[in-house]
Amino acid sequence: MRTWPTALVVDDHEGFRAFARLILESAGFTVTEAATGAEAASAAAATSPQLVLLDIQLPDTDGFEVARRLTAAHGLHGQHGQPGPVIVLTSTREASDYGGRIAASPAAGFLPKDQLSGRALRGYLEGEDLNGETP
Amino acid sequence: MNPRLRAALIAAALVTITFQLVTFYVSGWPGPPPAPLFVVSTTVVLAAYLGTGIIAWQRHPADKIGLLFTLTGYAWFLPHLLSLHYALAFTIANGTAFVYQGCLGHLGLAWPYGKLRGRADRIVVAVNYAWNIANPIVANLFWNPRVTGCSAACPANLLLIDDSPRLYQDAGQIATLLSFPVTAAVIALIVVHWRRSRGYARRAMNALIWVSIPVAGYITILNIADVVDLSRYNVLIYQAGPLLLAAPPVAYLASAMTARRARGAVSSALVSMEPGPHPAKLRDALARALGDPTLQLAARTAGAASFTDTDGATVDLASLPAGRMVTPLDTPGEAVLVHDAELRHEPELIRVAAAAASLALEHARLQAEIQVQLDQVRASRARIVEAGDAERRRLERDLHDGAQQRLVTLSLAIGIARDRAAAAEGADPDLKALLESASKEARAAIAELRELARGIHPAVLTQTGLEGAIQALVERSPVTTQVRAVPAGRFPAQVEATAYFVVSEALANVAKHAQASAAVVTVREQAGRLEVEVSDDGAGGAQAGSGSGLAGLADRVASLGGSLTVHSPPGGGTRLQAVIPCP
Repeated sequence: MRTWPTALVVDDHEGFRAFARLILESAGFTVTEAATGAEAASAAAATSPQLVLLDIQLPDTDGFEVARRLTAAHGLHGQHGQPGPVIVLTSTREASDYGGRIAASPAAGFLPKDQLSGRALRGYLEGEDLNGETP
Repeated sequence: MNPRLRAALIAAALVTITFQLVTFYVSGWPGPPPAPLFVVSTTVVLAAYLGTGIIAWQRHPADKIGLLFTLTGYAWFLPHLLSLHYALAFTIANGTAFVYQGCLGHLGLAWPYGKLRGRADRIVVAVNYAWNIANPIVANLFWNPRVTGCSAACPANLLLIDDSPRLYQDAGQIATLLSFPVTAAVIALIVVHWRRSRGYARRAMNALIWVSIPVAGYITILNIADVVDLSRYNVLIYQAGPLLLAAPPVAYLASAMTARRARGAVSSALVSMEPGPHPAKLRDALARALGDPTLQLAARTAGAASFTDTDGATVDLASLPAGRMVTPLDTPGEAVLVHDAELRHEPELIRVAAAAASLALEHARLQAEIQVQLDQVRASRARIVEAGDAERRRLERDLHDGAQQRLVTLSLAIGIARDRAAAAEGADPDLKALLESASKEARAAIAELRELARGIHPAVLTQTGLEGAIQALVERSPVTTQVRAVPAGRFPAQVEATAYFVVSEALANVAKHAQASAAVVTVREQAGRLEVEVSDDGAGGAQAGSGSGLAGLADRVASLGGSLTVHSPPGGGTRLQAVIPCP
């Protein structure tokens, strides 16, 4: 049993990953990082994170596609009835810039990058919508 | 035509006509002068042939037709030497009484350009001449005017060798009987010529057929009158009858005037056509104007071996059928008129037609060129707008991937620093306040940059298409706005962007100027077009003039071949409609 929740930060921007790690770690997460959609898939398989903070703009694909793949992979390799990772999409843009695509994705919610906080992310893990940005 | 020759012909004609008129009255014959009708009719015929001869000679110096008319005129004059009461003149007049009939036959068979068409023509013309020359001479060998016909008042017949009335009568009857087949042969050949004529020559031959009827009829009656007593009709036959012989010159002059009118017809036919006529229509107009239904307008593209006419048939200029002639047109491409060879007798007409056709083809070519250029300009305008859109999309993405990304990271860093300063014991309270305000500034900068990027290009349009993008616009609009319909599918990026900017600009105008309480947005896809409509219940009176955002929008819609209209009566609300072709 883990005592610390695990999180995967997927973003091609190194500076953002560094600060996201700081914020998540101070909120009690154990953090792994991935810079591309491909890296995200292997990192998720290796660490089975409980939370994935997923940038929508990635160099090789987009966050919606990664979210779909992560969810599908989890369903295929079902881990003893455990729920899949909670996916939180993020972007420098706002949720409204993506219209209905966020709601249509398997992600639990969306958090604009500038509003990233440990409290908001823990809220997703606890099934609470603290941010008000989730559709 | 040589001016001296013309002067000589005119002078000779005037002298001859005057001479004939004078001799009618100063003749030396006892008794009253001839009947005025006779004087008029014979003089009219003489003047008609001599005059037409000069005109025809002038018009077609290379053709023999003028000469034929002239000769016929003088042949007509010879028998009227009879007016002179001298034995020699009397004998010449009687001996040449029918020469003009030989000339008429020649004229008919050489119609309309003075050229005989073949062996049969030459034989018949020769026989006709021989017969009409020999006949009166032979008859006069046996005619003593003082015994038959004339009283002692007649001058002597110098040809007389035997004055037996019996011989004279027999010779006269044989001569009359032989006249009919000769006349019939001439008429038969004329009919053959007429039936064979096509194209331009047909018109002239039609006139000849009509002319031949009175002339042949009159000559036949004259022959009959030699053997049958028609003296009851003397006034009709000998006084009025000659007027019928004026038909050929009159018909010739009429067709000459028609040819002159045809030149005008060529230009007016082309002027009245719409600009840049289709070659087939151009051909039809030329064929009508030239009176040559067989006219072909043929062209070939550079480097092609053969010409093609407007019906798509191949035209081999090297082996044209007989009676066809080629006139090249003065156009950059290779084009020719192929027409009835008889038209070579109307070089001026052909020149006008060729010039007009060249002009029309050149016009059509220029128009096609302009159309190509216009299409190119349209395409390049659409490409420019498209390139502009692509550039805006790239700019929006770059802002988010670059400056915005760094600003966000900076904002997060300030936030962390602020939280740590807040948590640290004994920290400087000013530092805390400073970090707090820096964090606020950073967030404000992020929000402003986001708005700026959205104004440059709406990401939601790229992400979700029209439906989501218009929904987002409507949600941000300060005026209550209803979306009545928006198609859910995706369209070409250009079409989506244009429809989006129409709605965006319209809603911005509603918010700024309309004093409206409600607006409605409708987007419908219909028959390959996207119809966008934004209406409000505001003050109206909007103008799509220059300087307004609407003018730029109209250009943008036009770049896709669409149209933008504004209905905005004062006090009646505003309805903006855009129709955007949507392939």
